[in-house]
Amino acid sequence: MSTKKAPMSDNEVKNGTSRNMLERCASVNEYFDISFKVMLLGDSAVGKTCVLVRFKDGAFLGGNFIATVGIDFRNKVVTVDNMKVKLQIWDTAGQERFRSVTHAYYRDAQALLLLYDITRKSSFDNIRAWLTEIHEYAQKDVVIMLLGNKSDMAAERVIKPEEGQKLAKEYGVPFMETSAKTGVNVELAFLAIARQLKHRAAEQPHEPKFQIHDYIESQKQKSNCCGALM
Amino acid sequence: MAADVHSKGVTWDTPNGNLAPVEHLPNSRSESPTPGLVEGTEPGAGQERAMFVHTQSFEDLTADVELTGSRPSETEEVEEKEQQREGEGGGGADTVDEPRQDVQAIVREKEEDVTSETWRSHKKHVFVLSEAGKPIYTRYGSEEALSTTMGVMMALVSFVEADKNVILSIHADGFRVVFLRKSPLVLVCVSRSGQSDGELWRELHYVYYQILSLLTLPQLQRVFQQRQSFDLRRLLAGSERVTAGLLRLLETDAGLMLNATMSLPLCSTTRNIVCTSLQAASSKNLVFSILLAGNRLVALIRKKEQHLHHTDLHLLSNLASSSSSFRQGEGWTPVCLPKFNASGFFHAHISYLEPSSDLCLMLVSTDREDFFNLSDCKQRFLERLKKRNAYQALKEALHSPTYPVSQVGIPELWHFVYKSKSSGLYTSPELPVPYRTEEEQERLMELYQYLHSRLHHPTRPLRSIYRCTNTENLLAWSTSGFELYLCFSPLATKALAMSAVTKLLKWIRKEEDRLFILNSLTY
Repeated sequence: MSTKKAPMSDNEVKNGTSRNMLERCASVNEYFDISFKVMLLGDSAVGKTCVLVRFKDGAFLGGNFIATVGIDFRNKVVTVDNMKVKLQIWDTAGQERFRSVTHAYYRDAQALLLLYDITRKSSFDNIRAWLTEIHEYAQKDVVIMLLGNKSDMAAERVIKPEEGQKLAKEYGVPFMETSAKTGVNVELAFLAIARQLKHRAAEQPHEPKFQIHDYIESQKQKSNCCGALM
Repeated sequence: MAADVHSKGVTWDTPNGNLAPVEHLPNSRSESPTPGLVEGTEPGAGQERAMFVHTQSFEDLTADVELTGSRPSETEEVEEKEQQREGEGGGGADTVDEPRQDVQAIVREKEEDVTSETWRSHKKHVFVLSEAGKPIYTRYGSEEALSTTMGVMMALVSFVEADKNVILSIHADGFRVVFLRKSPLVLVCVSRSGQSDGELWRELHYVYYQILSLLTLPQLQRVFQQRQSFDLRRLLAGSERVTAGLLRLLETDAGLMLNATMSLPLCSTTRNIVCTSLQAASSKNLVFSILLAGNRLVALIRKKEQHLHHTDLHLLSNLASSSSSFRQGEGWTPVCLPKFNASGFFHAHISYLEPSSDLCLMLVSTDREDFFNLSDCKQRFLERLKKRNAYQALKEALHSPTYPVSQVGIPELWHFVYKSKSSGLYTSPELPVPYRTEEEQERLMELYQYLHSRLHHPTRPLRSIYRCTNTENLLAWSTSGFELYLCFSPLATKALAMSAVTKLLKWIRKEEDRLFILNSLTY
């Protein structure tokens, strides 16, 4: 999909018609102005599905680990500056045997949420391998965000927030810690992505460029005021 | 990976070289079926062509294990009357620890101490190991804790092979240890369920095919060629629930025993609309469109000349029911259908028509980039269903996915399983009161499995068998057209059982539109 896409006219939206292939699988009863593809990546059991379910349904999939099979596809429409933005979210299986399937869908994605588990060092160590893979298969201008998930599990933490921050800085990607269990920063991560993509799509030459880093920082502080940890 | 099977002219897997039966004219269907029925005219037989590949129930065994013996002698007919089998009485009490199909249980099973008495007392263990003796899968306990046990198993296999022989099974102390050698894997089942070796082999084959469906045979062989000591668990990670679900299904679903599928009872008008709507929602690379309600088949549309194998269908339906994520979104996964072609991946679009409904649609394509096309097919199917007012009728049919046996009108008949051989479908009423508990249900399944193994004995097959126990009387009958298992009250007599068969067959003929899928549609 073209990244510089003007918002569609009302007419087009109401009919749900669009020549763009991406919108063909639109959920029939939800209108939207623009849609983007977001992909969740990371090792097995870092909490990709849980983060998605928290964002989509506001719930936490408690306790038991259920491995995603292949790729799981869901939609969520969010509002950014009075514009309906549909996020088509690909939740991927972290297991090795599904790698080649996920590769095939990298290049369609406009944003990637890359997750690791702050209680499992191996999942953090693999982030570099994931980033290498992303650079190989994804679009050049893909929006990447690094998420350290399970921030509620303070007692089992092995990766400090600073380590995540440092790695993110090295690759020039925004970073935050999330918790699918408590919901901390989950919505923010998706909204920041939506905002960034929307700004990029509707970019006017005279408008200042959207700064995702600044946006995240300002929003993070807000949530700090409300008593959240991160 | 992901070799597209369709475009490369691979040979299709045709186990007995017989893909489709000859076409039968509708007028050759007999009105009052008699035991002399031939294949294709029995109640429930498809009117045009079969949807499934035809198989002998034991084709795997005869093909792979090389059991020597004559093929079924058609004339032997044995009546049997025996006491409760030894050890059968104690069987019920041991099933308490049997797993339920939820994750909690699977997690618990995995953490179980392999030296404990509970671990030992499980009725059926399943192990998978590599030829290097490395653990790959165990049903209970953790693989690591069992490396020495699996080492011993491999030693037994190798010891016998050193003498240019094959170890098939060990019977001792009420246990059966059955070995299945499928290079580069060795599968072992340790059971005290009273099932025959043949039944246990069949179950091990299922586990083997389950592994193939995740990896394909070439990939499996390649990883072990590259490194003999490869830890296959790395590639199978996350599939534990699927395998656990399959093992559970093998204990409760008669379809896996019969190599047949149960269809959802549905009035023929609704079924026709569902089938034609699904047929119309086609796409270039679609091979199979399958609509399931739980593990019951609602509709199956296939590409011309391509047939689905029951094993593959059971694997697909188990895959769908083992993961809850398909309910919310749309799943997209590579899957190998090992009986169709063990060397390549298909790509399956799996989704529920509604998150709260049991209707699961599986669209199987040869193209790994086909997700959006198939997602579109699903929408078209759903719209057409709604437009033709069939969706509501279909949802209502889900409320009564089964029927009471009393509909047949034979008071002494408690339960039955009827398989139409030419359509590969079977029908069975809901379990009556005495068999509602999990352990009783399993006991009935075991009785049927026993009858099945007698009918399909590799050297001395039977055509019919009548068996009395203290709690029920059983009759099993196999003709070239159908296979029938009946369970009567213990007060029933043999004469009554024989007359019940005729009455039941008439009833099934009358109801066949509803109970079976008579038209097999292609795109």
